[in-house]
Amino acid sequence: MRIGDSLPEWHVEATPTFVISTALATRDFQDVHHDRDLAVQRGSKDIFINILTTTGLVQRYVTDWAGPRALVRQVNIRLGAPCFAYDTLKFFGQVVGREQQDLTIEVVGRTAHGDHVTGTVKIEVPA
Amino acid sequence: MNAAIVGIGATDFSKDSGRSELQLAAEAVRAALEDAGLTPSDVDGLVSFTMDTNAEIAVARELGIPELTFFSRVHYGGGAACATVQQAAMAVETGAAEVVVCYRAFNERSGHRFGQVQTAAAANIDNSWSYPMGLGTPAAMVAMFAQRYMHEYGATSEDFGRIAVIDRKHAATNPHAWFHDRPITLDDHQSSRWIAEPLRLLDCCQESDGGVALVVTSAQRAKDLPNEPAHVKAATQGSSADQFTMTSYYRDDLTRLPEMGVVARGLWERSGITRSDVDVAVLYDHFTPFVLVQLEELGFCGRGEAKDFIRTGALELDGDLPLNPHGGQLGEAYLHGMNGIAEGVRQIRGTAVNQVANVGHVLVTAGTGVPTSGLVLGQA
Amino acid sequence: MIDIEKEAARIAEQGECAPRLARDPVNQPMINNWLEALGDEHPGYDGVAPPAMVQVWTMAGLHGQRTLDDPLGQMMTILDEAGYTSVVATNSDQTYHRYLEVGEHLSVTTSLEDVTGPKRTGLGEGWFVTTRSTWWVGDEAVAEMRFRVLKFKPAQKPEPRPEAPKAQAIRPSVNRDTEYFWEGTRQHELRIQRCGGCGLLRHPPGPMCPECGATKPKYLVSDGNGVIYSYVVHHHPQVPGRQTPFVIALVELDEGVRMLGEFDGEPKIGQRVEVVFTKVDDELTMPSWRPRADR
Repeated sequence: MRIGDSLPEWHVEATPTFVISTALATRDFQDVHHDRDLAVQRGSKDIFINILTTTGLVQRYVTDWAGPRALVRQVNIRLGAPCFAYDTLKFFGQVVGREQQDLTIEVVGRTAHGDHVTGTVKIEVPA
Repeated sequence: MNAAIVGIGATDFSKDSGRSELQLAAEAVRAALEDAGLTPSDVDGLVSFTMDTNAEIAVARELGIPELTFFSRVHYGGGAACATVQQAAMAVETGAAEVVVCYRAFNERSGHRFGQVQTAAAANIDNSWSYPMGLGTPAAMVAMFAQRYMHEYGATSEDFGRIAVIDRKHAATNPHAWFHDRPITLDDHQSSRWIAEPLRLLDCCQESDGGVALVVTSAQRAKDLPNEPAHVKAATQGSSADQFTMTSYYRDDLTRLPEMGVVARGLWERSGITRSDVDVAVLYDHFTPFVLVQLEELGFCGRGEAKDFIRTGALELDGDLPLNPHGGQLGEAYLHGMNGIAEGVRQIRGTAVNQVANVGHVLVTAGTGVPTSGLVLGQA
Repeated sequence: MIDIEKEAARIAEQGECAPRLARDPVNQPMINNWLEALGDEHPGYDGVAPPAMVQVWTMAGLHGQRTLDDPLGQMMTILDEAGYTSVVATNSDQTYHRYLEVGEHLSVTTSLEDVTGPKRTGLGEGWFVTTRSTWWVGDEAVAEMRFRVLKFKPAQKPEPRPEAPKAQAIRPSVNRDTEYFWEGTRQHELRIQRCGGCGLLRHPPGPMCPECGATKPKYLVSDGNGVIYSYVVHHHPQVPGRQTPFVIALVELDEGVRMLGEFDGEPKIGQRVEVVFTKVDDELTMPSWRPRADR
């Protein structure tokens, strides 16, 4: 795990089931995350993924790569385009910093509409 | 080949002919026959090429040509211009016909404009990999090659512009040219608007209304006719591996026109002449970048060296390889290459307005980026 | 007129709200639900919660209501009254001081950190509201979050153009030899013909392999990554369904074949791109390209 290392590209199919089940599993009951009619009424194209899930996906992307021993210390994310139901969310990542056991990884999650999330994850990988 | 072009004819070249394409065709064929000293009843063969709306039988009806024993239509638009003469020459050689007229007539400016997006062409399955992606004009299709050519060889927009400047210079002294008396400078070229980057407006040929016809018969019969014949020393078509129409983008090298390489090989072999025997080059110039690539494919210079070759002045009327003395399609008119063949005949006869001295052989090429064809015309 | 900045200063001065206790202690069933929904198969979350779940524990729930002293709630009300009625989360920066164990009962406090505006954004004019939350186990701070939302007036949507460009864009002809490709784009797969005999990759496709003569074409699904081999910036004439100027790129895919498509960006030969799929209608989805950060 060196600076410049790329994380393997990872695709998440944001099916309606995925959008809804993750919203509920994160206890986010905003209608735009589970009720398509209301989401459309509010000017949205469809239901979309909630921010707690995005945070969770970014964490998962990094730990899937770093392995279970890695400890997550920080997840900073900025949201862009919504990730709607039926979108494919593609994650890209790269190690941008390393200090002994502490790694900094930049992550981008994109859909066909643009960047859904850009963020930085700090992990500690015990020797 | 035992065949010669013995008559040439054309209508005026304009932006709005004010008459039907069939009338243009009939006028051009009649003019060519008169020039040849023949009458419609002498004609037994007619050849045109695709993207011409005039059926051979319709042209025959208008002219009162009684019987035809040979009629043919060559594919791939402008790439077929020289192939019409090849067809005619083969017909004459084999005895399929004795007098064959090749023609092209259209209202390409006032009527159906080839430079616009050809929505109907998208029905072709090959075009389904380009038109729906937004690549739907000939200029844009050539620009894709040009961009790569510039990238690989360091050619610039100015290098393309020099071709336009030469053509327009020659057209300026040709009264039949649309751009008669209207030369351009390289600055004019550089300040002309983008059409499809890296192509500017002045990299693109004109759009024209008009008609051109050529009369082909045997060398023996030519002896009895009034004009000095332009003998068909060689004529060939060319298509190469993984060939598409305008979009041969899937070959290893995008900086070449291998189908023109096929033509070149065939022409040198069959005519028995070499490149240094060429006194005038009439190279198809719908878009300037492909003139550079043609110079390379035909062997007048090495790969990527056309830009330097042009700078030597070789393409001027007094240069080693005078280019398009009539002004080409950038300067005279866009008649899908047929006006260039007529110019080749005039240069052989010694009757061109911008006559090059002591012309023994003229090289003429047809449309590039498509399956193409070429001719070597010569004196007896 | 509401003085938003003044109101914001007033709320910020209140400092942290009273601690709000999570409904449930950290517990394995909710952890399992979370792991299942996100598809996370990390083996370490047995008796220990994923860090990114921290906010989950203190979510207000289905019928939850904000407490009166909740600074974000107060600020939202003020902005609602000022006409900034829509909200979208823009940033979440979470720091985890340690992992949480099953049985620990969290509470959360929140303060208003910053309110800036009005700003013009793509969504409309709005205010960025930043709060800081701290999660506690007893009196130990275990995690922190800076959370930013944009509270905005939805921009007036422009009248739809009388001509819907996509409706008149040129459509591909499709036949037996090519339908697999367009079927693929519908499924967001970029398919490359692969000879069932010799494995030759070929685009554009055809029914007979020019290499081995087999007539059993198959396909592979491309990763959709490649580099710009050449490109055109189209200016004239107008092209149905498109606004000029636009870029068409000839892309050499990593698998080795070239493919044309519109490109969204500043083109450069050699630039890395990736495929994007745009649904035109139920029958047609077009592939195109966009820059790919080389990561």
